[in-house]
Amino acid sequence: MTWENFEMIRAGAVRGAGFSVGFAAIGAAVGEGYAAGKASQTLAYRPELSGDVLKTMLVGQAVAETAGIFGLVIAMLLLFTPNAAQPTLAAWAFLGAGLSMGLSAIGCGIGAGLPAGSACLGIGRQPSASAQLTTLMLIGAGVAQSTAIYGFLIALLLLFKKLPDVVSMPGICALVGAGLAMGFGAIGPGIGEGIAAENAVYQVARNPENGTLLTRTMLVGQAVAESTGIYSLVIALLLILGT
Amino acid sequence: MEGLGEVATWEMDMAGWHLVFNATTIMMTLTIVALLLLFGWQAARKRAPVPNLFQVVGELFVVTFWGLTRDALDEKLAKKYFPLICSLFMFLVLSNWIGIIPWMEEPTKDLNTTLGLGIMGFFIAHFCGIQAKGLKAYVKQYFEPMFFMMPLNVIGEIAKVVSISFRLYGNIMGGSIIILVVTYLVYGLLLPPFLNAFFGLFVGTVQAFVFTMLTLVYISVQVR
Repeated sequence: MTWENFEMIRAGAVRGAGFSVGFAAIGAAVGEGYAAGKASQTLAYRPELSGDVLKTMLVGQAVAETAGIFGLVIAMLLLFTPNAAQPTLAAWAFLGAGLSMGLSAIGCGIGAGLPAGSACLGIGRQPSASAQLTTLMLIGAGVAQSTAIYGFLIALLLLFKKLPDVVSMPGICALVGAGLAMGFGAIGPGIGEGIAAENAVYQVARNPENGTLLTRTMLVGQAVAESTGIYSLVIALLLILGT
Repeated sequence: MEGLGEVATWEMDMAGWHLVFNATTIMMTLTIVALLLLFGWQAARKRAPVPNLFQVVGELFVVTFWGLTRDALDEKLAKKYFPLICSLFMFLVLSNWIGIIPWMEEPTKDLNTTLGLGIMGFFIAHFCGIQAKGLKAYVKQYFEPMFFMMPLNVIGEIAKVVSISFRLYGNIMGGSIIILVVTYLVYGLLLPPFLNAFFGLFVGTVQAFVFTMLTLVYISVQVR
C-alpha cells in the first residue's frame, strides 16, 4: 500500500500534536494540583487569609500553566500550518517536535507548581511577607521553566527547518533523536529547579530578612541544576543542524 | 484559520540587502510608546499633594519597583537602573494588555520584540558585571569550576536570553492562538471576553512582571 505525500505530512503532524499536548498536560496538571493542595492545607489552619492565599495560588497556577500552553501552541501549529517539500523527513520532524515539547513540559509543569504550593504555606506562616514571597515564587517558577522553553525552541526549529532532499535513516533518527534528547533531558532539571525554588520560598517565609541571600543561593543552585538541560539543548541543536 | 502565523510586512531592497519589516509590530510598538508618553505627561503635569488619577497610577509604579530594585541591587546601582526596570514593566504590561482591544495586536506577540528586549537586558547585565568586578574577574568566572567548562558556561549565558524572551513570546502567542481557536469553535459567542480577560490581563501582567524581575535578577547576579 502506498501513501500520498500530503497524507504522510498530515499523519506526522497529528501524531506530533497528540504527543505534544498529551504529555504537556501531565506536568501542568500535577503542578497546579499541588499548589491547590497546599493552599487548602494553609486555609485549614488560617481561614482568615483566604483572599491572599487564593490570589497567590492563582498566580502560581497561571505560571505553572505556561508549559501546558506551550504544548498547545505547538499542537496548534502542527495541526494548521504543515506544509513541507520533503514529506518523509517532515513527518518524522513533526514527531520530534511533539516529543520535544511534550516531554520537556512534564518536568517544568511540576517544577513550577512546587514553589506556588510553598508560597501558599509561607503566607500562612508569615502573612506580612506575602509580597516578597509572591515575587520570589514568580522568579523561582520562571527559572524552573527555562528547560520547557528550550523544548519549545527545539520544537519550533524542527517545525520550520528547511529539510534536505535526500531521505536517509540517520537523518530521520537525528530528527526524532533531537526531540527525545531535549524532551527527556528537560524533565529532571525542571523538577530539580522547582525543588530549589520551593525550599527557598518556604525559608524566606521563616526568615524574611535573609531574602536577598536566599534568592541568590536559589539562583546559583538552579543554574547548576539546569546545566544538564543545557547539555541536552546543545546535543539537540547539533543533531538538528547536522541533518 | 488559514491566516494563523501570517503577518503584514513591508519589504525593501537597500544596499544589496533584502529587508523585511513587520508592519503591525512597528506600528503597535510606536502606538504604545505614544500612549506611555501621554501617560507620563498627564501624570507629571499637575503634581499636587492630592494627586489626580494618573499621578496615583504613576506613583504606584514608582514605589513598587523602587522597592524591588533596591532589594535586588544596592542603593547606588538601584538609582541608576530603576528607570530601566520601571519603564520596561510599563512598556510590557501595556503591550500585553492592548491585545484585548479589537483590531489591536500585542507587539510582544512578535518574537522580534521580546528577543530584542532580552538581548538588551543581556548586554546591560554583562556591562554591569564588567563594571562592578573588573574585566579579569569577569572573564575568570567563565573558567570555573574547571577551565574546560568555558563553552558550556557561555552557552548557559546565551540560553538565558533564549529562555527569557521565548517565555514572554510563547505565553502571549499561545494566549492569542487559544483565543482565536476557541472563538472559531464557538462562533464568537459568550466565551471570548473571559478568555481575553484571563490571557490578556492576568497572564499578561504576570508575564510582564516575570520578564522585568528576571532582567533585574540577571543584573544583580552579574554584579555580586
